Amino acid sequence: MKNVYSVGQVNTYIKNMFQQDYLLNRLYIKGEVSNCKYHTSGHLYFSLKDETGSIACVMFASQRGNLKFRMQEGQRVIVLGSVRVYERDGKYQFYASEIVQDGVGLLYERFQALKSELEEMGMFAPEYKKKIPAYCKTVGVVTAPTGAAIRDIMNISSRRNPYVQLILYPALVQGEQAAASIVKGIQMLDALHPDVIIVGRGGGSMEDLWAFNEEEVARAIFHCETPVISAVGHETDTTIADYVADLRAPTPSAAAELAVYNLHEILEKQASCKERMDQALYHKVQYLKKALETYELRLQTFSPKQQLLEKRTLAADLQTQLDQSMKNNLREKRFLLQMYIEKFNGLSPLKKLNQGYSFVADRDGKAVTSIEKVHPGEELTLHVTDGEIRATVQETKGIVRI
Amino acid sequence: MTLEKAFEELEEIIKKMNDREVSLDDSFALYTEGTKLLKYCNEQLDAVEKKMLVLSEEGELHEF
Repeated sequence: MKNVYSVGQVNTYIKNMFQQDYLLNRLYIKGEVSNCKYHTSGHLYFSLKDETGSIACVMFASQRGNLKFRMQEGQRVIVLGSVRVYERDGKYQFYASEIVQDGVGLLYERFQALKSELEEMGMFAPEYKKKIPAYCKTVGVVTAPTGAAIRDIMNISSRRNPYVQLILYPALVQGEQAAASIVKGIQMLDALHPDVIIVGRGGGSMEDLWAFNEEEVARAIFHCETPVISAVGHETDTTIADYVADLRAPTPSAAAELAVYNLHEILEKQASCKERMDQALYHKVQYLKKALETYELRLQTFSPKQQLLEKRTLAADLQTQLDQSMKNNLREKRFLLQMYIEKFNGLSPLKKLNQGYSFVADRDGKAVTSIEKVHPGEELTLHVTDGEIRATVQETKGIVRI
Repeated sequence: MTLEKAFEELEEIIKKMNDREVSLDDSFALYTEGTKLLKYCNEQLDAVEKKMLVLSEEGELHEF
């Protein structure tokens, strides 16, 4: 019988095969915890199982630092480790070096379920959101007394306005008691009636922030009489608390900026109000002064003295116009007269008398222009330049002139 | 009255004071009112620096 091996040889052979396998040396396995035993030696024995089967697991005491929670039956976990052969029993088992709860998926489901439940109840409805007062004097803070969140809030608050009173309720913001602690903080601060309450914490994993996804915290925020600003984790983290809060700040720092008004801005605003009031009054007085001047001017214009003066000027003007018109008229007429005189001069028979002609008139002074007009014996008057000559007609004789 | 309301009223006063239809007498009255409001705002500021207080589980306040 050739090729007969001992048990040890086979187990060693298989063990080597496992060791040489790349995947088996380092892998994550997820499953549900069963048969969990914390041994007095510090070692932890359990099995991981799913619908199809199970695998034996061990975590040695030396690795226990990598288990952050108390492992219990039925938990869903993700285990990092290697699959090796246990030669004594001829069994393979999983040697765990790190165990985390496979919660994220589960937590997310819980988050979604609670979110839609509360949303249906109307707890996120905008009509329930209280307005954050613009000028808060007292600001309540529910967060951990140590850590970045409270430091950021204190820094920003004292920088923006050192006159604002912060009141911290030092809450647990992580772990099993966190939700109850946060609820108590909200209720106790609410009883002091601050102007606003900031509820939050710094960043962390979804599990770290989980308290802010608990229904009791959501209800405490919802029923809080004081307006609540949520400030959980970073910008990208959104918790149920953020949906219920009256205002969601992306970070604790941002919450402080929203809650604590800027003192310098308010002082400037005051100064500006004062200046604008002064200006308004000054302008009003200036405006009325100007109006007064206008009225004075109008009154002067319509005064009897002014009216009289104006009428007098008008009368003088008219007088001048009249005189001028008269003068013009006279000049024109005189000119015409001169023209007529010249014309008459040209036509005057006397001129002709000068040259030896005379004007012959009958007894009635009418011009004798024809022999037919006179009879012999009739007396005539001959007008010459220096006088008249009386003459008697002796005879008439017709002449034919060519 | 809140500081917010006080500022709202101040704005209203300034608006009225700039209205030409408002008489000088009324303007003076508004100015007086505004001055009072500013004084009130100043008082509200409560110019005392505050140290953060911590509320204990027993409901007592003490310095941080």
